[in-house]
Amino acid sequence: MNRPMLKTLLPWLLCLWMLAVIAGAFFYAPSAAGFKGESARIVFFHVPQAWVAVLAFCVNLVASIRFLRGRDPLDDARAAAAARLGLVFSVLATVTGSLFARVMWGSFWNWDPREVSIAILLLIYAAYFALREAVPDEERRASLAAAYAVLAFVTMPFLVFVVPRIYWSLHPDTIIGATGQLKFQMESRMRQVFLASLVGFTGLFVWLYTLDVRLARVRMARSRGGEE
Amino acid sequence: MPGPESLVWVAAVTIVIWLGLFAYCIALDRRVRRLEEEQ
Repeated sequence: MNRPMLKTLLPWLLCLWMLAVIAGAFFYAPSAAGFKGESARIVFFHVPQAWVAVLAFCVNLVASIRFLRGRDPLDDARAAAAARLGLVFSVLATVTGSLFARVMWGSFWNWDPREVSIAILLLIYAAYFALREAVPDEERRASLAAAYAVLAFVTMPFLVFVVPRIYWSLHPDTIIGATGQLKFQMESRMRQVFLASLVGFTGLFVWLYTLDVRLARVRMARSRGGEE
Repeated sequence: MPGPESLVWVAAVTIVIWLGLFAYCIALDRRVRRLEEEQ
């Protein structure tokens, strides 16, 4: 199979994969015990979205470090693309989490440590784009943004993994749950759908990221062509 | 109208999010290909 054909086919394979995940989430996986109604099914989408956000911030860090070492403008474009996707998927994880919170705890926002930490993370990465917009000079913008991205990433593991586990939280936890908390243990069919969704969302991230970088490459070539 | 805890509501939210993302990807993919071809 040649490369252009694969490029055309892969998105549709991803679409079919995710349609299968959606069908599996609602018709194959059983209802989770201890949750109101069908609210727990949102976990098949909420957690992969949060995972993609973390992955995107990791890519942002790597691209920023690469920029600081090599000063390649394409690395700056890679870092910006990853941060943009991280922000989008953080918003999606927050929205789906809020819907779950409305059903389980009666309100969209409960000042739960995990809600507060994701809100802070959103503000930190929103500031990354505010910084980019505030500096007109391209080289200076890229350097400042890369340095800021390294600092921003330091807060990410703390806000995503540490803070919600230090304080008592309403949030269901699959890994560490203090006594008395709602501990979400997955049945095998649920785990299958969940892992398939993780793969699907990761594929979606790779696709979006690649498109964003290709777009940046075209823009750079155009601006270089305009200068000549 | 089904309540927020119902299967229909959860399914609607997830499908809207997924279809929105996919439609955006398809549109961006076409735009990038067109620009690359123009180059």
